[in-house]
Amino acid sequence: MLLLEFRNFLLAGFVNTLLLSLVLTAGATLCAVLFTVALSTRSTVLTGFVYGLVECLRDVPLMVTVLLAYFVLPKAGISLNPFWSSALSISLWGGANGAHIIRAGLTAVPKGQREAADAFGLRGWRKLVLVVLPQAMPVIIPPYVGLVTGLVQASSLGAVIGVEEVFRAGQVIIEQTTLTRGGSPAYLVYGFLLVIYFVLCWLISLVGRRCEQYFTRHLTVADEASPLPRGTTQVVPA
Amino acid sequence: MDLDYILGALPDLMKGLKMTLMVSALSISLSLVFGALGAALRTSSNALLRNLVVGYVEFVRGTPLLVQIFFVFFGLPSLGIRFSVFWSGVIALTVWATAFQIENARAGLASVAPGIRDASLALGLKRWQHAILVVLPIAARAALPPAMNTVVSTFKNSAYLQTIGLVELTFVAVDRIAYDFRAVEMFATICVIYLFCVFVLAGLAKLVEHRLDRPFAER
Repeated sequence: MLLLEFRNFLLAGFVNTLLLSLVLTAGATLCAVLFTVALSTRSTVLTGFVYGLVECLRDVPLMVTVLLAYFVLPKAGISLNPFWSSALSISLWGGANGAHIIRAGLTAVPKGQREAADAFGLRGWRKLVLVVLPQAMPVIIPPYVGLVTGLVQASSLGAVIGVEEVFRAGQVIIEQTTLTRGGSPAYLVYGFLLVIYFVLCWLISLVGRRCEQYFTRHLTVADEASPLPRGTTQVVPA
Repeated sequence: MDLDYILGALPDLMKGLKMTLMVSALSISLSLVFGALGAALRTSSNALLRNLVVGYVEFVRGTPLLVQIFFVFFGLPSLGIRFSVFWSGVIALTVWATAFQIENARAGLASVAPGIRDASLALGLKRWQHAILVVLPIAARAALPPAMNTVVSTFKNSAYLQTIGLVELTFVAVDRIAYDFRAVEMFATICVIYLFCVFVLAGLAKLVEHRLDRPFAER
C-alpha cells in the first residue's frame, strides 16, 4: 500500500501543515485584533488607511496575495522563506476577515450594556473584557471557527510556493512513484488528502461547538421544577 | 513602477482576464442552478437523498479547493476520467461553489415562515403555484446577499486554477514575471483588475437587491 509505505513522509508533511495552521491562526487573530483596534481609533487617517487595507485584502484573491508576498517582498529587501512568506500573507488575509467578524460581534452587543457598564464605573479595558466581550463571543465564535477552518484549508496554498506541508508531500509522492514505477496514484493520494483535511476541519468545528456552548452556558439552565426529565436542559428565551 | 511596461503587458493580461471571466461565468451559472436543485433535494422527504446532499456540502466545505482542483485534474485521469484544463477548472470550481450555494438557498428557504404555506392553501393555490409564486420570491430575497458573496468568492477563487496551468489572469502575470522580473508592476496591475471586477460584481448585487426590496421599501 503506497500510503503506508510513505507514511513517515506524509506524517512529516502533516506536522508542517499543523504547524503552519497554528501560526496562521495565531497570526490572523493578532492581525484581526490590531485591525479592529485601528478601526476604532479616532484618527481618521489611520482608520481610513486600515479600512482600505482590510477591503483590499478581502477583495483580492488569496492566491494573488500569497504569490504577491512571495514575489514582491524580496524586491523591498525582505526575503522570507516560503513558510514565513505564506504565513505572513495568509495571516493578513485572515486578519482582514477576522476584523470584520470581531466588529460584527462587538456591534451586536446592545448599547444599554455599555451604558450599564458605565453606570457601574467600569471603564476602558474592564468594560470591554468584563461586559462587552463575553456577550460578543457567541456572535463571534461561529464565523470565527469557519475562518480557522478556512485558514487550515488555505495552508495548502503554501504548496504552490514550496512549503513542504502535507499537500506538497502528496505531490512529491505522486511524482516519485510515477517516475520510478509508472502509472499515477494521483487519485489515491489526493483522495486521501481530501479525507485528511476534512477530518481536521471537522475536529476544529467540534472544538468550536464546545467553545460556543461555554459562552452560551448562561442561556441553558437545569431547572429542578421543570416538567422535563431530570438532567435535560432547557433553553431560556433571551 | 514602469507605466510603459504595464501598457505593453495589458493585451496579454486582457486575454487572461477573458479566460478568468469565462471560467467564472460558467462556474457561477452552473453553481447557481445546481445550488437551487441541491437545496430542493435537501428539503425532500427522502432521507437518503437529504443525507447525501448534507454529506456533499459538508465534505466539500471541509476540504481545500486547491486539493479538489488537483484531484479533478491529476487524480481523475488515473481513474480513466480525463478533462481538458478548462473543463477541469470549471468542474472543480462548480463542485466547490455548488456546496456553498446549496447552503445559501437552504437558508433562504428556511426563512419562509411556515404560516405562509397555510395561507397559500387557504387561497386555493396548487403545490407548484405555492412553490413558484409564493415561496420562491420570498426565499430568493433572503438568499440573495449570501449567494452574491459566494458568486464573488467563486470569481476570486478562479485564480487557484493557475496552479493547473489554465491561462487566466494570475497565470499570465506569474508567467510574465518569470521572463521579465517585473513583479511589482504585474501584481499592482492584476490587483487593480481584480478589485475593479469585484467592485462591479458587488455593485450589480446591490442593484438587484435594491430592485427586489422595492415592494418593501419605506415610503
